[in-house]
Amino acid sequence: MRIWRPIVAAAALSLTLAACASTDTPEATPTSSGPWQFTNGNGELVKADKTPTRIIAHAGEAAALMSFGIKPVGVYADESVKTDPNLKGLDLTGIEILGQEWGKIDVEKAAALRPDLIVADWWPAEKAHSGLEEGVDEKSKKLKELAPIVGVAQGKSIADLAEGYEDLAQSLGAKVDAPEIAAAKKKYEDAVAAFKAAVAAKPNLTALAMSPADDKVYVANPEYAPELLDFQKWGLKVVNPDKPDPGFPYWENLSWENADKYQPDLILWDGRSYTDTANAEWGKKQPTWFAIKAAKADAVVSWPAYWLHTFGHFAAELDKLTVAIKAADENVGS
Amino acid sequence: MSTPTVRARRALALGPGLAVLGVILALVAFLSITLGSRDIGLSDVLRALAGLDGSSIEHTVTVEMRVPRTLLGVLVGAALGVAGTVLQGVTRNPLADTGIMGVNSGAAAFVVLAITVLGVRGVNVYIWFAFAGAILATLLVYVIASLGREGATPVKLALAGAAVTAGMGSLTTGIVMTNVDALNELRFWQVGSLAGRYAPILSGVAPFLIAGLIASLACGRALNGLALGEDTARGLGQRVGLTRAAAFAVVAVLAGAATAACGPIVFVGLIVPHLARFICGPDYRWILPYSMLLAPIVLLLADVVGRVVAAPGELQVGVVLGVLGAPVFVGIVRYGRLSEA
Repeated sequence: MRIWRPIVAAAALSLTLAACASTDTPEATPTSSGPWQFTNGNGELVKADKTPTRIIAHAGEAAALMSFGIKPVGVYADESVKTDPNLKGLDLTGIEILGQEWGKIDVEKAAALRPDLIVADWWPAEKAHSGLEEGVDEKSKKLKELAPIVGVAQGKSIADLAEGYEDLAQSLGAKVDAPEIAAAKKKYEDAVAAFKAAVAAKPNLTALAMSPADDKVYVANPEYAPELLDFQKWGLKVVNPDKPDPGFPYWENLSWENADKYQPDLILWDGRSYTDTANAEWGKKQPTWFAIKAAKADAVVSWPAYWLHTFGHFAAELDKLTVAIKAADENVGS
Repeated sequence: MSTPTVRARRALALGPGLAVLGVILALVAFLSITLGSRDIGLSDVLRALAGLDGSSIEHTVTVEMRVPRTLLGVLVGAALGVAGTVLQGVTRNPLADTGIMGVNSGAAAFVVLAITVLGVRGVNVYIWFAFAGAILATLLVYVIASLGREGATPVKLALAGAAVTAGMGSLTTGIVMTNVDALNELRFWQVGSLAGRYAPILSGVAPFLIAGLIASLACGRALNGLALGEDTARGLGQRVGLTRAAAFAVVAVLAGAATAACGPIVFVGLIVPHLARFICGPDYRWILPYSMLLAPIVLLLADVVGRVVAAPGELQVGVVLGVLGAPVFVGIVRYGRLSEA
């Protein structure tokens, strides 16, 4: 047992760093006080006799619903709600916090809330909703017995995801034509335009999404990261790793000996572990980190890895990336 | 088996055997430096070792990563093999392994304590806490077992070890349940790996490991005495309590330093003593040096396998040993060579 536990734990750790793909976009159904239905991320239609009002949601999904004025009764997060990028700055008073660590949900507390709907992203690669994936506490999985569960699929684009939650909010009775919502979308469109312009000015710039860890370096596979697919669609050459882990295709695992396998011009650093001093620290700690020329040149920028759910958040993150792209040297890695 | 001529003949073969093992260890160490998850040609490895072209990535990988990793593997492997041998001898328990003396659980508990209470970060720092925890846990086991009139008997040692292991384990679980950072650091350390440990860790633990290994070689005769049973050993004029205490000190230092540096690595300390006994017979004066050479061969080979099969990634040596060690252990049991220590 002592030997096997860390493998599960390592997988669990990777799972927390994860995302997936599908083209399915749930469709909202016309709202009424009568029977309610919504197409789940896996394509199945979820029905209820009346429109749900007592909702438990995973962190980012909760933030998306709250942006449309739908307040869940309970939230579970993968980290402290104080540091979760989705929940930062949101007023959580009156919302029960059911978990602040990946894989651990207080189902007893959740049951006491008498939820009539659970909202969590659908991860097609793992065929599971957030919080119920392989590797979580078995007890957490009982959450799905409390109420119907729906979620938008983590697919090919953050825009699809954000619009999916807009549709869900609408089906739950929210008004989605508020001026703040339109403003956030406008901000997003402007941010995309600026991002595209910055990328167009650097046609040879290549980027690699990475997450260094003590025992190995993880290289993200854009195919299962909707925001990286968005970047590629807008012209940024995000490198596709050539040997993703077959069992967990979100990443290619590189030993530290092979840290310099790819030589991008810009490193997109997993935002969950990025700090301003991280690059220097890893350079000191691992003899091969600075063999990546972009790392040596400090061409690193935080990448919003697998957490975005709203146009507003994406716009803010895009602006930071655009600044980094403008400052990047497209010949560092060559 | 015990007539003087047979013993002499056996010794005659065992001496050169030791030399052969030394050569094999050198070869395996060479493999460990030349093979890895990164494909580096032999000539580049040799150039790097000769110090030519110090700025190349091949030089960095060979000299800064593989050489310390290999040296650490040799020392840690030897330490675990010898610690297992001494422990099996002193407790006369063929299933004794440093894990049951509280070494792993004590080290783990101190790692998470250091992270949560003192805010320590980075493997270079918290190995010292792991070392302290391992020593403390072993000491605790020994003191608890020593209570009572007949001293630290094998049965009392096993019971005290189980109790301390359970206690330390609960402490660790309690802390990591409430602290995600501690859990993440512990995950990295607890797999058992030679990866990511570079020169500072090697030079930190090497003095303890070398001192412990030298001291262990003096234990052979005493362990032979104990193997006959405590009353007989006493009858032969041996001071049983003192022997046991000294042997425990050696085990604590060896296993503590090895586990601190690389995390809990299983099976080496359990299986190697059996292999050594299979080759040498019951004389600990031979079993100890054989364990000292066999164990690093096993550990380094497992590490090389883990580095080659999963390229461009790596499997941790703890995982490889778990996968390969279990069937080997079953084989030893089935083959009936699980002789009483």
